[in-house]
Amino acid sequence: MALPKPAAGPDAKSVMTDVDYEKFCEFFYRKTGIQFKENKKYYVERRIASRISAVRAESFRDYFTMVRFQSSGEELQHLVNDMTVNETYFFREDYQFDALVDGILPAVVSRKRPGDRVRIWSVPCSSGEEPYSIAITLLERWAECDCWDIEILASDIDSRILSEARAGLYSERSVARVSTALRGKYFRPRPDGQFQICDDLRESIDFSMANVVDRTQTGRFRDVDVIFCRNLLIYFDDIVRRQTAEMFFDALAPGGFICLGHSESMSRISPLFLPRKLRGSIVYQKPLSAE
Amino acid sequence: MVLVKQKTPGSESPGGPEVVGRDALLAALESDTASDRRSAARELAAFPETAPALCDRLAVEQSPSVRAAILMSLIRIGSPEAAGRLAEFLRSDDATLRNGAMEALQEMPDALEGHVDRLLADGDSDVRIFAVNILSAVRLRSAPAWLARVIRSDSHVNVCAAAVDGLAEIGGVEMLDDLADLRRRFAGDDFMEFAIDTASLRIRGR
Amino acid sequence: MSNASSSPRHPQGDEVSGRGRILVVDDGITMRLYYRSVLEAAGFEVEEATNGVEGYEKALASAFDLMIVDINMPKMDGYAMLRAIRTDPALCAVPAVTISTEASERDAQQALRAGANFYLVKPVGSKELTEVALMVAGRSPR
Repeated sequence: MALPKPAAGPDAKSVMTDVDYEKFCEFFYRKTGIQFKENKKYYVERRIASRISAVRAESFRDYFTMVRFQSSGEELQHLVNDMTVNETYFFREDYQFDALVDGILPAVVSRKRPGDRVRIWSVPCSSGEEPYSIAITLLERWAECDCWDIEILASDIDSRILSEARAGLYSERSVARVSTALRGKYFRPRPDGQFQICDDLRESIDFSMANVVDRTQTGRFRDVDVIFCRNLLIYFDDIVRRQTAEMFFDALAPGGFICLGHSESMSRISPLFLPRKLRGSIVYQKPLSAE
Repeated sequence: MVLVKQKTPGSESPGGPEVVGRDALLAALESDTASDRRSAARELAAFPETAPALCDRLAVEQSPSVRAAILMSLIRIGSPEAAGRLAEFLRSDDATLRNGAMEALQEMPDALEGHVDRLLADGDSDVRIFAVNILSAVRLRSAPAWLARVIRSDSHVNVCAAAVDGLAEIGGVEMLDDLADLRRRFAGDDFMEFAIDTASLRIRGR
Repeated sequence: MSNASSSPRHPQGDEVSGRGRILVVDDGITMRLYYRSVLEAAGFEVEEATNGVEGYEKALASAFDLMIVDINMPKMDGYAMLRAIRTDPALCAVPAVTISTEASERDAQQALRAGANFYLVKPVGSKELTEVALMVAGRSPR
């Protein structure tokens, strides 16, 4: 039986040398865009040690060869899952919401006439924290909110999580970053300690099921001005990532923007979008002249 | 409430996938509209025999997004024929096209394999460098041995330098002697000495 | 440079040391490490990027006195990166040197048209690299 070793085995130190670590980090960065600094060596090494014993590799060198050449990419996927924490809560990575109201939307509406539609797509929306955070941010912080016909689309591949998103029930932990004032305004506390998002907001978001690699399901997302796609592409292999980026290209209006997660970069994926620095955040823009 | 929920966008358009024949797609590949060419290129992935036509279009296509779609379809077709046609672009004067072809070839290891010998023997050192760059990134178990052969036999400094770079990641301890020989061959070249020492260190792991 | 009068764009707290900051954009790991070792020895601070898109991102994220850009790279080649950067008002004045394996006059012209201030042909010796870095970075509006 090959039981994974307990994560923090004392022998984890001996699994890889500093040179091995550098070599691994470069490879992992090239494949995923996830970058580890030197101070993360212990964290990375523990996880690699556990994968080495799980697949019964003889050494780091053997294991690296396996990850590097495996045609299915399955082991790389295991590593990505082990090295990342995929959690969602209200106002996660909120510096991007600052960029949205202070940089992205002003750029988007500068090409529109008052009353025009502004379309924002949250993908994957998971249990809804992201699209609701976007809605609250716009209502609270975008002075021009009333001048535009704002539409927030939210999609996920998982139909169960979409029902949760539509129901809009959240734990104390999930709303930890929501101020008391905003909780009072947009949430209803429930006897069981949960918070339910108010009906107006629930009804304002268009939730739907869509698999990003299925063109018949994504074909209806068109003329989108801003896409939030955070911490999804890191879980895909090179080809699917490229396909997804190309699908986003079709979905975006010329000059539209993509926001990725903080450890992600379009530089690993596609040259179709140009990086822009807006309010301190790097976002990616479909060139205005693209068509 | 200013946020409005619209009807799901585009839901009024025909839902079912339209069945368009191969020839119609080939015609659409020459359309004046980039988005039509893009979707035609994408759907042609279902017809492997259209790889040459996709490559013909790629040679003249100016839109980056259509190029990307064509390259993606060629990867999905993944035939030795598609790889062979893609390899011709390594000679292109257009750096973007050249690099797009290289990246696509890196994604089609099985189709690539039969072309490697020919590419590594090409008279143009730049083509050999690109072949080495492809081998350095492709998921092909035979790639390290090919790179080792390059550093043993190729006389061009930049071709060897590219191979050393690849070996820094995928080389094995059995290649350390070849690297040492190469270092003697290019003694006095700052960069080669540095690169070979770096690759050897990484292969040894310490 | 025509924009020499514009003020340096160093973000606050970005302490400038030595001779200035250089962004090295090359997909080859040994190449990047080599440039780093040579340029650091010459007193420059070095940051790396592995392709043109990443180079563009890093150039946006902080200020550089010089970019050293490889031509053949995945995702976005060196010419495309320079063309994109030269249309960006914040970056159009940053000096750039391209490095390629192609020695023909046509390629040199292509590099200069894309916005390079200078071009080098591989292999580049440490002395040559240092001299060119000092010369071209010296034009930077600092």
